[in-house]
Amino acid sequence: MSDAILLGAVAYDPKVVTIWEGMRDYFREQGVPFDFALFSNYERQVAELLAGHVDIAWNTPLAHVRVRRATGGRSFSLGMRDTDRDFKARLIVRKSSGIRTLADLHGKTLAVGSRDSTQARILPLYFLQREGVELDRVRILPFDTDLGKHGDTGTSELDVLRAVRQGDADAGTVGDLIWANQQSAGHIDPSQLEALWTTPPFDHCMFDALPTLPRAKAEPFQRALFAMRWDEPAHRRLLELEGLHEWVGPREEGYRSLEEALDSQAVNVRS
Amino acid sequence: MAVVAIDGGELTVGGGLLALVRPALRLLEEDGIVAVLSSSASVVDDLPSWCRAEGHEYLGSEETAGGARRYLIGRGRFSLRAAQEAGEAMPERADPITGFAPRGADVEPGGPAYPFDLLERDHLAPPEIRKLYEQAVAAQWNASRDIPWDKAGGHAPALEAAVVQIMTFLAENELSALYLPSKFISRIHPAYAEVSMFLATQLADEARHIEVFLRRARLSGPRLGVSSVTTSRSLLSLLELSDFSEAAFLLSVLGEGTFLDLLGYVERHAPDEATAELVHRARTDESRHVHFGLAHVRAALACDSTLYARLEQAVRHRAATLHGVAGVPAPVQDALIVLAARGTEPGAVARGHAAFRELLDTMHASRVKRLLHAGFTPEQADTISQLHTANFM
Repeated sequence: MSDAILLGAVAYDPKVVTIWEGMRDYFREQGVPFDFALFSNYERQVAELLAGHVDIAWNTPLAHVRVRRATGGRSFSLGMRDTDRDFKARLIVRKSSGIRTLADLHGKTLAVGSRDSTQARILPLYFLQREGVELDRVRILPFDTDLGKHGDTGTSELDVLRAVRQGDADAGTVGDLIWANQQSAGHIDPSQLEALWTTPPFDHCMFDALPTLPRAKAEPFQRALFAMRWDEPAHRRLLELEGLHEWVGPREEGYRSLEEALDSQAVNVRS
Repeated sequence: MAVVAIDGGELTVGGGLLALVRPALRLLEEDGIVAVLSSSASVVDDLPSWCRAEGHEYLGSEETAGGARRYLIGRGRFSLRAAQEAGEAMPERADPITGFAPRGADVEPGGPAYPFDLLERDHLAPPEIRKLYEQAVAAQWNASRDIPWDKAGGHAPALEAAVVQIMTFLAENELSALYLPSKFISRIHPAYAEVSMFLATQLADEARHIEVFLRRARLSGPRLGVSSVTTSRSLLSLLELSDFSEAAFLLSVLGEGTFLDLLGYVERHAPDEATAELVHRARTDESRHVHFGLAHVRAALACDSTLYARLEQAVRHRAATLHGVAGVPAPVQDALIVLAARGTEPGAVARGHAAFRELLDTMHASRVKRLLHAGFTPEQADTISQLHTANFM
């Protein structure tokens, strides 16, 4: 592979091209040779990282955990967004549904996001089960849109909110950021919808690399990444598009619940 | 540490609470805290999520005696800061990031830089700019209503032809005075919007002058006078200026200043009331432009001593490009003489010729006076005035 860092990202939206072309220009300005390759889904991206065809993969939590497992925990984690830390999932209920406690979900319809979405399906279902909800007594209404994108598009979460609002479901699970942003933008009618319950925090996306990534690539990448600033107009535009205020260092403990969820067989990611 | 307290009652995060929280955070001083009292149960999870999404610091909550909770939020490092000095005063140097934000607005950080490149107060805005703008707005007039168009024409063909030639020349020059300031308006940082606004009144003035000069010229038919190469070259050398101070100096101080004498001459010798009135009104407007040019140059010279040499150099450079231009364009000169003679009777033409020569002397003397007023030495003033274009503008 050449001296340039080759980063893989998944093209879940046209803006991904804008983001990574902007990032490429930024890295090059910083004297860091850089290019990117776009994949149509995270399964392909993880496979290409493991095959050594890209240096770094910008991964969802599910893809990150898969890389950790495939490398026996030896992969390099390089950094994440500030907003990736302490992610939560929210249980949104229609006020007229009569759901006041988690036990009330039994016999009701629960809208969930794509089966590969950590925040809209995998972890909320896992945590609900841990709280004593018997999932086979809940009618699950799945929105398996954009499979392979691991919930990045947010489409399935908006589908969940719509289903709950329209009465197709009594409750639904979404990530807390989409809920906060929808509230912030004034799109939620508080007389109709409310958040009843919140999962424990977990972490979201991560830049992953194989343990063989040379320091000569890892260090300049991190240095330039962490030097991006919100009050720098050219940086801010990219940061806003990617949904963060600043890049922060990696940490692993935030993925433990996802690993447990995948082990528990409670949630079938592949079906 | 300053704590700002908000009573959110039963408002939810998505149901109006943010309309109280966000303004409080915006007004918070550095290290300040907003304390939100709320009895809405959903706030306990919704508020921390919102803080995370917005980059604010969620500091926790506590039970209060009344059964409500009090939530504490610190303003995040990524939220609003005052990017420009508060208040109405023009900053000494403007920040391209503030773009079209009016002076005194709180500007969010990280916005795009605008391509304005005229960013220094002392090189743009003289202290009296606001007064000049107000005067200009109050003095606007209407070409249809304010000129006695029924009191024009009926002259011998040679005299009417002279009027048409002069009007043609005036309109051509005023067109350049419409275009040159327009080049700068889009470059002036909006922190100095008063300058752009004054220039806008100048553009409106020039538009009206072009209108009345052409209307007068066409009273006797559609055919206009000559546009000479001398005029064309002279005006192109004006249009090509890219420095605002040089443009204000060459256009307003020297060019429009010289036009004051020219318009006074045309008014004095005007053969009819309509012509006298329209040049009189144009002259009043032009004197405002000259006033702005002088005020600008005086203020700029006061803070930049190198400007004298630059302005003189600009005049020399322009004179060099106009090298070979012997005098006032012949058709204009002839028309001015016939105008003052009120016809073609030889004795009167001799007097007209004398009046024209006197006009040139008057123009030079007035230019020197204005240059002295701007702060040039008598020697500099004399040199610069002598080098000024024979085209008047």
